[in-house]
Amino acid sequence: MNFDLTEEQKLIQETARAFAQTELEPVAARLDQTGDREIFLGNLKKLAELGFMGLNIREEYGGAQAGMIAFSLALTEIARACASTAVTVSVSNLVCEVIQSVGTEAQKRAYIPKICSGENAAGSFALTEAGAGSDPAAMTTTATLDGDAWVLNGSKRFISSAPYAGVFVAWAVTDKTAPKGKGISCFLVEAESEGLVIGKAEEKMGQHASATNEILFNDCRIPKDALLGQINGGLRVAVGELTGGRVGIGSLALGIGLAAMDYATRYAQERIQFGQKIANFQAIQWMIADSYTELEAARLLLMQAAFRRDQGQSFVREAAMAKLFATEAANRACYTALQMMGGYGYSRDFPLERYARDVRVTSIYEGTSEIQRLIIAREILKNVNHE
Amino acid sequence: MKILVCIKQVPDMESRFKVNADGVWYDERDLAFRMNEYDEYAVEQAVRIKEQLGGAADITILSIGPARVVEAIKKGMAMGGDRGVHVKDDSLAQRDPWQLASTIAAFARSKNFDLIFTGMQSQDRGSTQVGAILAELLGYACATTLIGFELNGDVVTARRELEGGVKAIVRFRLPAVVTCQLGLNTPRYPTLPNIMKVRQKELLAFPVADFLTEESLTITEKMYLPEKKGRARVLEGDVSQLADQLLAILKEKTTVLR
Ligand SMILES: Cc1cc2nc3c(=O)[nH]c(=O)nc-3n(C[C@H](O)[C@H](O)[C@H](O)COP(=O)(O)OP(=O)(O)OC[C@H]3O[C@@H](n4cnc5c(N)ncnc54)[C@H](O)[C@@H]3O)c2cc1C
Repeated sequence: MNFDLTEEQKLIQETARAFAQTELEPVAARLDQTGDREIFLGNLKKLAELGFMGLNIREEYGGAQAGMIAFSLALTEIARACASTAVTVSVSNLVCEVIQSVGTEAQKRAYIPKICSGENAAGSFALTEAGAGSDPAAMTTTATLDGDAWVLNGSKRFISSAPYAGVFVAWAVTDKTAPKGKGISCFLVEAESEGLVIGKAEEKMGQHASATNEILFNDCRIPKDALLGQINGGLRVAVGELTGGRVGIGSLALGIGLAAMDYATRYAQERIQFGQKIANFQAIQWMIADSYTELEAARLLLMQAAFRRDQGQSFVREAAMAKLFATEAANRACYTALQMMGGYGYSRDFPLERYARDVRVTSIYEGTSEIQRLIIAREILKNVNHE
Repeated sequence: MKILVCIKQVPDMESRFKVNADGVWYDERDLAFRMNEYDEYAVEQAVRIKEQLGGAADITILSIGPARVVEAIKKGMAMGGDRGVHVKDDSLAQRDPWQLASTIAAFARSKNFDLIFTGMQSQDRGSTQVGAILAELLGYACATTLIGFELNGDVVTARRELEGGVKAIVRFRLPAVVTCQLGLNTPRYPTLPNIMKVRQKELLAFPVADFLTEESLTITEKMYLPEKKGRARVLEGDVSQLADQLLAILKEKTTVLR
């Protein structure tokens, strides 16, 4: 048993922290309020140049090959400063990983280096539809072969980074007669593809700097070789790759929770009421104790899931547990931190209200908490025999 | 061009320091360590020279200390150093500047480095002496507290920061030892691929006994936290009241407005 990070992991954490403090933190509040895209994309480019877009990607495709523990550490540090930046980094890494895991050599060489280097600002993961959220197998977007092209029709909802992504990994039904979930394939759709329309931007509660849009496929023609992985084998890819993504989202949530509690705890040491620091009140102390205990438990669950992945072990159950617990603990921590600051927690002059808005979605996207519980229970029950 | 960069690993300066049981150094337990900030400028300048010379330079990153200092050496290598040298010493805290400089000199003497960089000082001991003593021991030219550095052939033109905002420009030939002040350049972040590739570079390790023969010339007798004097005063009121109060205090207690 060894809880120490390697020197490389510590250096990656230090680099992420230093970058986040110097470049992201000072603009995070402004990005939240104005969504200033130029600054946002500029920071993404710098992060790509440092290697944060391909943390788990092999060197030959421009990645850092640093492993999932490093991925988790980096996202926590980035999210401490700016959750919108963190989610973009997380999803872009996920897109690279999907391509690396099932793409042909030509697809890997064509798309991964562009995301890793920052030539593309981001990659998009286009699974969700209006009628297919928790149940992606219910999707209705179709892809039909027409000569040497696939023609996509339908629409996707809630697609992160859509306006500035260079490439979309998108799912569509290729066999309507197949049993549910068995007729879905995955495609690489370039941003410039004919018939791909970036639709309405979602007006969200938080994570404002990160764009979330509808996308429309109107007879969108893409080459035959844009099929990613096996025909009709797409849903398994989506479900499988989201396992790693969940470690990313849990780590991101942890970062927001820590930022909130660190801020509120410093505040509690300074704020005087009834002639003393509010940190002297046991009610406040219990808030601090409970929140940090939960965040520490979240960190350990995340580290365990990431460690198992780095060791080549299965981590489906662990990743779901980590995502479930970390995102909910972080939500509680932000709520508690806001409470600790009273009216100032609710004021835009302080970052707490932003943290509370930004953290909320972490228990929704990349699988809601309810879906994580389904996964965890399924993983446990399948190992329990019944006669 | 052979370049040596001497770096130290120090505690994160945001840490809470406690004096250790012997009362002569700080307690190192539970502290997070990182590269001495001044040394980041030293590494950066060395890497820039290598870039200026189209890669025709070889950079060695050296650090003396316990096993943990390897992390700082690796950071230097990830920033662009070609090789690391770890001089293993579990008693770093007891070494004085004379011993540290003598150790580095013993390592460097036979190796014909053209240029040696150190930070202006370490953030923990702050003696500012290691670089200057090292230059003397090796018979090299020396310039300290650099805020500007330019290399043409074997001539360095450097800008130094003196007391009270005065600057000086000095020119000297290699070989030389220079010590770097904050602001000399903008140290780069090590990229993640470079951090991961450090493993492919050479990292040499030597016991300190291979190089250290000198006794220390200064001994720290006591380390203590300064006594808390006076109380900070928190001004209250609206902005204009705050400004008035501050102005009154500055007039009364300081010379800045006289
Ligand atoms: C800001 C943001 C960014 C996003 N980015 C992306 C993206 O980049 N790519 C992408 O593909 N998607 C993205 N999404 C979509 C996201 O993954 C979905 O919103 C999420 O999966 C939930 O789907 P839904 O919204 O349709 O909710 P629903 O599936 O309709 O769920 C509604 C409620 O019912 C519960 N529920 C559903 N099924 C069950 C069940 N079987 N048992 C118990 N409870 C259940 C849910 O947990 C939830 O509480 C994003 C969403 C947001 C808000």
